[in-house]
Amino acid sequence: MKTKKISIGIIVSVVVLMLAMPVSAVAEEYMIGLSLAITGPTSDAGNPYAKGVEDYFRYANDMKLLGKDTIKYEIRDDKYETAITKRNFEEYLDMGMVFYLNYSTGSTLALKRDFEEVKMPTLPASYHAGNIEDSDYVFLPIASYSAQAIGLAEYLVANHDGKTPKVAMYVHPSAFGRGPVEDVKATVKAGLDMEIVEVVEHGKDLDVTGMLQRWKSKGVQYVISQTVQSPVATLLKGASRMDLVAGSFGEKGKITFMGAHYTGGNDLIALAGKAAENFYWTTSFITTSEESYAADTQIALAERYNRDDKTANSHNYAAGIIVAEVATEVIQRAKARGEEVNKKTLYQELLAMNGMNAFYSGTAVGPVTYSKDDHQGVDTLQLYAVQNGEFRAVGKPFIPEYTDKIK
Amino acid sequence: MSANRWLATGNYFTTYREEQRIFFTHIDRLLFAAFLTALFAWPFFFQASSKYMLIFDNILVAVIAVLGLNLVTGFGGLISVGHAAFVGVGAYTVACLAQIIGDQHVLITHAWPLMIVAGGLTGAVFGLIVGLPALRLRHLYLLMATLSFQMIFQWVVGFMDFFNQGQFIYVGRVYWFTGEVGRSVHYNFWYYALLITVVILGFGVRNLLRTRYGRSLVAVRDNDRAADAMGMHPGFTKVSAFGLAGFFAGVAGAMQAYLNRGAGFETFTLHESIQYLAMTIVGGLGSLPGTFFGPAAIKMLDLQMENLAEWAGHLLPSSLDLATGLRPLSFGLVIVLFLMFEPRGIANWWRILRSYVKLWPFRY
Amino acid sequence: MSYFLQLVFSGIVVGSIYALAAIGFVLIYKSSRVLNLAHGQIIATGAYITYVLTVWMGVPIYISFVMSMIVTFFLAMSVERIFLRRLIGEPIISVIMVTIGLMSIIDGLIYLTPFGSENFSFPPFLPREPIILWGTYLSYTQVTGVVITFILIGAFSWFFKKSTVGISMRAVSDDQMASMSIGISVPKVFGLAWATAGLTAAAAGGILGNITGLNFDTLHAFGILVFPVVILGGLDSLLGAVVAGILMGLIQQFAGGYLDGNWGLNGTGQVLPYILLLVLLLFKPHGLFGTYEIERV
Repeated sequence: MKTKKISIGIIVSVVVLMLAMPVSAVAEEYMIGLSLAITGPTSDAGNPYAKGVEDYFRYANDMKLLGKDTIKYEIRDDKYETAITKRNFEEYLDMGMVFYLNYSTGSTLALKRDFEEVKMPTLPASYHAGNIEDSDYVFLPIASYSAQAIGLAEYLVANHDGKTPKVAMYVHPSAFGRGPVEDVKATVKAGLDMEIVEVVEHGKDLDVTGMLQRWKSKGVQYVISQTVQSPVATLLKGASRMDLVAGSFGEKGKITFMGAHYTGGNDLIALAGKAAENFYWTTSFITTSEESYAADTQIALAERYNRDDKTANSHNYAAGIIVAEVATEVIQRAKARGEEVNKKTLYQELLAMNGMNAFYSGTAVGPVTYSKDDHQGVDTLQLYAVQNGEFRAVGKPFIPEYTDKIK
Repeated sequence: MSANRWLATGNYFTTYREEQRIFFTHIDRLLFAAFLTALFAWPFFFQASSKYMLIFDNILVAVIAVLGLNLVTGFGGLISVGHAAFVGVGAYTVACLAQIIGDQHVLITHAWPLMIVAGGLTGAVFGLIVGLPALRLRHLYLLMATLSFQMIFQWVVGFMDFFNQGQFIYVGRVYWFTGEVGRSVHYNFWYYALLITVVILGFGVRNLLRTRYGRSLVAVRDNDRAADAMGMHPGFTKVSAFGLAGFFAGVAGAMQAYLNRGAGFETFTLHESIQYLAMTIVGGLGSLPGTFFGPAAIKMLDLQMENLAEWAGHLLPSSLDLATGLRPLSFGLVIVLFLMFEPRGIANWWRILRSYVKLWPFRY
Repeated sequence: MSYFLQLVFSGIVVGSIYALAAIGFVLIYKSSRVLNLAHGQIIATGAYITYVLTVWMGVPIYISFVMSMIVTFFLAMSVERIFLRRLIGEPIISVIMVTIGLMSIIDGLIYLTPFGSENFSFPPFLPREPIILWGTYLSYTQVTGVVITFILIGAFSWFFKKSTVGISMRAVSDDQMASMSIGISVPKVFGLAWATAGLTAAAAGGILGNITGLNFDTLHAFGILVFPVVILGGLDSLLGAVVAGILMGLIQQFAGGYLDGNWGLNGTGQVLPYILLLVLLLFKPHGLFGTYEIERV
């Protein structure tokens, strides 16, 4: 009998929990869904990202940027598991979602065909170039990892003093890491004057001294990394112990370390400490360490919703803000045209976002541009270098040339 | 047998044959048939959302995988922490074939039952290979061996180009007699396909346990030296148990590949293996009804935790990260509490319920 | 030549961290025959406690290191008391599953704190210059790791050989019934075993956290690597754990140094321990120093 009572109790509590859903408001509500890893692998990036998205949508609703209408946003944790992302996606579809925000490389690739079939415009947090291959509906918010790596390669070739520079690549052992390697190799084939000495896929190495010695003996001068911050921090700490970190760009006899979007940010400085000095980082986002109006806005938004300092200054927070901004912007544009807001019209708005209609977001260094052939939003990249424990901008924003040449 | 074949309460067996029956009374049989019909018929009356259909489909896939795991760990006593690797083998059989011959190829889309069986057979082969250490190892050591297979599988899939280096490999939509199974009916279609597979395999396992092989499996688990002395072959039994588990897992994996329309590396990690093991234990090690309860319980728990987190998120918006830490916590707690207080799993509750109902209105 | 030497020294220092992690594992197995799959999580917890004591409470790092060892000592003891006491006598799979459940519980608890999803790093407290030994580079942190490992090994060896408590732990691992009959409290010994395992785990976590920074993903994966090490060394041998740890570190470094990059291989250091584990299990399951148990069918 106890089992019967328990099972009835469970059924009752289940029903109660399911009924605890909010009632929809009278004015229009546009549903936007986000499924990401708030716990689980890469949650150190996912957590601030979720906060960025949430804060911007709350801001849009509070400031009534859509007039009477509001954005009903739904943020779920999928623990980086594709099965759960798929489930969340299906549920959002049933809830009448008009725009989708995704996160991990694995799930974006897995659901790519679903996006095609239901014609749902999607902005993932993974800038893997494979996401937009064979896909009309996936739009990368900023330049892909490949474009970033190519941008770094072009910069080092342009600023290298001497003969053909020798470059090693340090990548994550997954599709996320390997993506840019092929494209950088293609760039070298297409004429970029650079030699790729080695491509190393790191593991959970605790000590990279052997690898660094090998690189030193092979004459490696630059390292382009595409991975997350923790392995780069280990690399930098090892290199600084061996006194291998270049003091200035391209310093002879030393190695200049460079990395793409997810390698950098304040977390890297927190993890690597002094060893991060003169690490060159590229991304399309602003950093709050450089004084700018945009940086102030980002921090103000975080303060408005009581976020801690770490989140406020995180580049993942900025990344979250931009996708929310783009989503809000397309809804605004569709409404301004007097059209019904659904995934079809929003998709059209995305495709039209170029030329005069490019969208200037505060958090990025360049405009968000999309078209039928261009599914990378902010094509512009900015190079940063760590100086005195903070990222400082180096040069002006640039667009890599070779990304078009290797298509 | 008692005179009344419908309502016999209690134990009236007079021959071994009678004791081996699956259904003891006519009412048992009737109720079961009604239950099965309900399982097949309910989608016609209630339109479940895609999300829930997907969840049911995932539960059924897990049931098939756990059928295999229960066979080897529950009935055979051989601990396997590499079950997700077997499931992965089945899924990648279909996916790699799709990669080689093109994912819209006739074999993949039209001959999909064949593909599923092929996935099962590959899983069986892989299982036999992994089962070989079972000839020499026991308990903990076997666990380590299966763990190392799991890690090697993960590395190989992530590394080799043949598996697209862990990236998602696509499998096309299948064709049924009425044409292509489109998006709107995809989950319903696979629900039926999975349900039919579960019923067939479930009966298969139940019957297997009635045969000589099934009994020798249990005998080997209990005391393999005595079993050897009685003329059974413990080595053969153990290795073939792994092979069978591999077959079930391969079928589950192949169906999962079709369900998700592809295979990606993240679905076959150590974490998944642990989930399968947890489902087996929570359901009830070594009991057939347990293999149905376990996956349902664990997946429903996950779902409810998600709902709870969302509900809490509506109350306190910034507690999203607080509430989502509850999912691994609840998963671990459920396992530990079951093991501490109900080691025989949910199947035990079911057994108590059934025996109570069977004897009612008598007490004993 | 210096490349080879560098690999050797790197292997030894990395290996002693593995050894430190493995000691705790072996301690628990040695006394209670329990495979503690949650050991990685306890290591992570130890690392976080050290961080909390150092950064949030401002305790000097040397003291906080020792304090976190003491705190984890009691934490592990209470874990044993609450969860595992009931399971004495149950089949081995139940006990292993409980530790698997524990893994998830500790995971969940860590995610409830900010540690689960953010990166932290210890303030530097050792000189940052490298120690240069015959052309190879070592860091102070790594050398400290080696020194602490060997101190702990020495302490435990003495403990098990000479002290009464240590001897009673060895007695319990040999034969529980016999130990009970001479008056040793078996449950107490189990608790003590877990507690000392917690101690070493905290030490390992502290050192690990210093080297890699506090990223939960990284600390997480460390727990699984302990298995090949303990099997190589023998599940119930402390000396074996140390030797195997160092061997494993060497193997990983050599794999990374000589195998990677040739024949299109990459990341072999990750998979080689498991292949080795498999081979060992098939031919020499009791490892290098473990007690020889005939487990054939």
